[in-house]
Amino acid sequence: MSTPEFSCVVTGGAGAAALRASVDSVTGQSMRATEALVVLPADCDPATRAAAGRLVTDRPGRVRLLLADGTATTTGALRNTGLEAARGRHVLVLGPGERLQLHACRNLWEAAERTGADLVAGRWSRLTGEGTKEREPSWQQQLFARSRTLARFTDAPELTVRDALVTGFCLRREALERHGLRYAEELSRSEILFGPLAAAAAGRIALVRRLVVTGRAESDQDLTGVLRAHRSVCNALVAQGLHDLCEQRERAFATDRLVPLVRTFPRLPAAERERIVSAAARGLADSVPDAVRETLPPLERVAVHLLARGDADGVLAASYALHRPAAVAAPLVTGDDGRVRWPVPPTGTGVEPSPGIDVTELGHQYRGFGELRLMNRLTRCASEDGRLLLEGHLVLPAHAAPDPGTPLTAELEFRVRDGARAFRFPVTGVRGEATAIHWRTHADLTRVLRPLGARDTVWDARLFVEAGGTRSVSDLFAAHDLLDRADRFTARPRLGRLAGDTWEPYVTLRNHLALRLVPTNRPARALRRLVHYATHFRPARKAQLVLKALRRRRDRWRSRAFKAPAYNTWLCRLPVRRGSVVFESHMGKCYGDSPRALYEEVRRQGLRLHCVWSYESSPQGFPADARLVRRWSWRYLWALARAEYWVDNQGFPQNLRKRPGTTYLQTWHGSAYKRMGFDETRVRMQNAPQRRRLQEAVRRFDHFLVRSAHDVHTLARAYRLPADRLLATGYPRNDALLAARARDESEGRLPRPALAAALGIPDHKKVVLYAPTFRGGPGKRKRRRLPLDVARFAERFGDEYTLLVRAHYLEAARLPVCPPGTVLDVSAHHDVTELLTLADALITDYSSIMFDYVLLDRPVVLFAPDLDAYAAARGSYFDLREKAPGPLVETEEELFAVLGRLKATDIEFRQARAAFAEEFGHHDKGDAARAVVAAVFARHLSRTSREAGR
Amino acid sequence: MSRSRDVFIVSNSTDELGGVTAWTHRTARLLQERGHRVRVVGIHASELKMALPDAPGHPVTALYPAHPPTPWAPKGLRDRLRVQARRREAARVREKRRAVQRLSGIFRTADPGAVVLVTQVWAMEWVGEADTRGHRVIGMSHESYDYSRASHRYRWIRNHYSALDRWLVLTEEDADSWAGDGMNNVGFMPNALAGLPEVPSPRTGRCVASIGRLSDQKGIDMLLDTWALVAPQRPDWRLGVYGAGEDEAELKERCTELGLDGSVRWKGRTDDVPEALADASVFVQSSRGEGFPLALMEAMASGVPCAAFDCAPGVREIVRDGEDGLLAPAGDIGALADRLLRLTGNPRLRDALGERARVNVQRFSEAETVRRWEELFDFLER
Repeated sequence: MSTPEFSCVVTGGAGAAALRASVDSVTGQSMRATEALVVLPADCDPATRAAAGRLVTDRPGRVRLLLADGTATTTGALRNTGLEAARGRHVLVLGPGERLQLHACRNLWEAAERTGADLVAGRWSRLTGEGTKEREPSWQQQLFARSRTLARFTDAPELTVRDALVTGFCLRREALERHGLRYAEELSRSEILFGPLAAAAAGRIALVRRLVVTGRAESDQDLTGVLRAHRSVCNALVAQGLHDLCEQRERAFATDRLVPLVRTFPRLPAAERERIVSAAARGLADSVPDAVRETLPPLERVAVHLLARGDADGVLAASYALHRPAAVAAPLVTGDDGRVRWPVPPTGTGVEPSPGIDVTELGHQYRGFGELRLMNRLTRCASEDGRLLLEGHLVLPAHAAPDPGTPLTAELEFRVRDGARAFRFPVTGVRGEATAIHWRTHADLTRVLRPLGARDTVWDARLFVEAGGTRSVSDLFAAHDLLDRADRFTARPRLGRLAGDTWEPYVTLRNHLALRLVPTNRPARALRRLVHYATHFRPARKAQLVLKALRRRRDRWRSRAFKAPAYNTWLCRLPVRRGSVVFESHMGKCYGDSPRALYEEVRRQGLRLHCVWSYESSPQGFPADARLVRRWSWRYLWALARAEYWVDNQGFPQNLRKRPGTTYLQTWHGSAYKRMGFDETRVRMQNAPQRRRLQEAVRRFDHFLVRSAHDVHTLARAYRLPADRLLATGYPRNDALLAARARDESEGRLPRPALAAALGIPDHKKVVLYAPTFRGGPGKRKRRRLPLDVARFAERFGDEYTLLVRAHYLEAARLPVCPPGTVLDVSAHHDVTELLTLADALITDYSSIMFDYVLLDRPVVLFAPDLDAYAAARGSYFDLREKAPGPLVETEEELFAVLGRLKATDIEFRQARAAFAEEFGHHDKGDAARAVVAAVFARHLSRTSREAGR
Repeated sequence: MSRSRDVFIVSNSTDELGGVTAWTHRTARLLQERGHRVRVVGIHASELKMALPDAPGHPVTALYPAHPPTPWAPKGLRDRLRVQARRREAARVREKRRAVQRLSGIFRTADPGAVVLVTQVWAMEWVGEADTRGHRVIGMSHESYDYSRASHRYRWIRNHYSALDRWLVLTEEDADSWAGDGMNNVGFMPNALAGLPEVPSPRTGRCVASIGRLSDQKGIDMLLDTWALVAPQRPDWRLGVYGAGEDEAELKERCTELGLDGSVRWKGRTDDVPEALADASVFVQSSRGEGFPLALMEAMASGVPCAAFDCAPGVREIVRDGEDGLLAPAGDIGALADRLLRLTGNPRLRDALGERARVNVQRFSEAETVRRWEELFDFLER
């Protein structure tokens, strides 16, 4: 055979089968000019050796076997032996058990030839927890988002920050020899160091978005080796002056290696935990720099800190907290400075005592004894005189500890999984201490716990502790090695011994204590197997298939794809019901906005109309005196088909036809800053049928409310609405705002509306409403991070302001924990107008809410950190900077500065705000609802109400 | 020069009006000129014939005289009982078997080591069943990833191409997208530029040209909206719209509505693109979707600077924004108008971009593309 293009070095170490799989993946490559170099140590086990021998004879010329001499003991030394013997133009090293993807060599070769790169790297995947599935590390997604060529390895920081180059790359052999690249033989995990060194030495690097290696197994067994290799990489980076990369690497190491290791702790035996912790303490002592540690999230910080200090017990608690972030896993202490700290016990001599780790961000300090989820650590679980002996303690943070004198009572409960039935056991030895409540109980499972025996075989344990009227509920946390398999108890199910005869305590996947009913006698085991067969194998599958088919059919009848044609062909033939109106606001998400204002006006005038409101998920908050129908239900379609009027602010389902006898009043939900409808680039790029559908949907509107000439130029044009469909009345929802303004001017702001009391806002605090706009596109509703850090706001202005946060109705906000009364999530509140009248100031970005709020003549602050990007991406109708009704700020610092002197800036902007209100709300005069009712429902106005309206 | 090979180019149709047919015959000619033995196979002959240049120098075979019937998928019990449909289906299967046998026979005329180029995934229905032992099969997709993703061809490509030696898309970006979906045997190969006109456009005429079918995909409606923003500021400039298509009447109506009749010239379909570009100084493309647009390359070859929507990787691949043309975010009419205003208002910018475009676009020249094909053939033998 001539010179191969690729030499792949494979070392033994994972057994004969793994070796064969690796070599097969090399010789089976779609590129045929590849050779496999199998390097085995001198003292290799005979099975592997024999397998390697067979591979050589089976594939002559494609596989070479090299036996290292006795001095080569580490994997690094074996690989170096392979590198020296390689003849191919490119070399590639496979770890134990790793396999090359079928086209790997072709893809690497092609990239190397095309770009002239010395090092070509691609994606690799590794085995997950159980070793049955494979997954790629999450950071690879970004590193390999596009194939690219790098002039230097620092152009892609992940290459050295993460362990991206542990496998899945090839090197030009000529470059390998030129730079004398070899594995460090003294390191047991030398591949962690080799990759970054090769990247630093290689000139040009190509990254290809192709899968190269699969089946990588990463074990945490050799923590010392991993730590040493990691340290060598950091030293190498520092030696090159790349301190920033080194710091990033430390952080990535903590989150990628250390934290996952800590998370495995409850499943490990105690001895193993001790071994890992002592290895970590040796390798990590004062190595994770403080600067790095401080930037980690609080629980991760605790885990890394305790690991470095060698505190096995503390790490176990931290592990529990990582699994359940809402749980308190340590007796937290609040310092004089108001900071909350996770205490760190002193360890041995020579290590200075630590003041504790700051975990204030978690917000545990704002909750009391009954509200906190406390870790209940089980310390003993044994059998005593046929009864279950349980001993444990409940962790108590200092601020939540009940008064020392308070009597404590406790009860242990076993509750059936997914059910309501429960049995309780008294707990006798309850003893309160400063940092913990110790408890101990004997549970007579045999006598008290009487299951039926079928469908109730698993029971979860919980402990109730009551102190002075407040009750704390906690699951029992147990490390998996705490339980002795021999501790079993006789069970007496009501169905008899055939259903099971033994209680077996075990630890669940979530690391909590539970009991399961198991059969030990032969007939019971046989019956259990039989039942298991019937419920899990062929009979059950048959039944499941039938059920699934039935369910599919039922779902089809319930689907919109079925309902819409049924509506369009059949329901639309029903006679129109005179005087019936269907109201909908924001696609049924709330009872608010202009449809609500109109509905209330209709009721106030006593019009004889049959009103129907549509709701999306829950009828709560909708008016009781209207008929309520769920959106897309048959009743909803029935109501729509028969309605004489449709009133809506966004759009009834696009694929529902509007019959000629129905009048559609589209109130719309706000003036436009960003481009809408056919002015939107997303819509313009849609294909013809999609655009036609939108056009058809918009053509249904018979009346469209506008607030000013601006709306006519923007919205009406964007939706191609003819002029005779526009009603220049202003928005009915804004009548309340103008009324509130009149009241402000005559009576002042206080007393506040009743809503303030309902939200618990005291009179001395000012209310600021934060309402950012929608940033997503069409698709699933997502929880997004708010652009404003509300925790910082609460810290700074918590005493002065209450911040109401209103996420867009298509999104939900995720708020951090803040002191009570400082930040309230009002996203679920039905009517935004009520919130506007309550707010003393508004913070928003591009939301149409600003066009309405200016009618109140109260301060507006525009916080738009991404103004230019947003305007470029979505397009805008005018320059916000030029017309802004209030200060426009782009950073949080500026925002806080503006809020600090709100009064002064308010005077500055009074003129601009008035001009803004005039330009965008010219028609808003405070009588919009009456005007719209008069225009649309004129036929239904009785003589008296017509006179009253005059 | 590497050794000569047998090359089979298999496409949906031998003479259907469209870009892929043109590509097929041009590539066949190029490979033939390099000494390869080329044979073009179409699954069927088409009714809507393309005007092919004089007799091709390579054998052309069509397996079916017309479009073969599509497979029968019975819906419901009643459908299953239709005897006639069953017989039709049986006849279709028989015909297909015969066509596959004929295809295998064609492949067997070559010694092992030949290359089978499948230009469209539909043809794989036959090639996949034919006997290709000893030959290398290369699949191709002449559209962008996003365009495939939105159509049924995505599934077809995944089913038929994943087992091939290699298959090709038009740009590296598309290849990356496919690789992200687990297709690791994907490579890329750009289309070739037909030819370089002897003389570039003098860029003196005050005319902006657009060449493309008058259909929704080409976005001429957006071009008119764009021109409505440009025309008032450039009263002495004209927009020349070349091409014909199903939306013609609608577009002309829209043009009148916008009051652009004075400055828009409807030039109809053209077969001589360099001639059309000769009196244009700026080229504009406002498509909703593209693969590797030939018109853009031809404009650049004529030294006409381009303004285009950045709607597909192929466009980005051809035009380097600010260097040899100007790109606007897809669908952003204001931005495209801005690019046009910059180009029409600045003769020096036009000259700089146009000259650079004429040089840069030659990286897609026929000689260069044939070299890449030869490289690929060699590569697949390694």
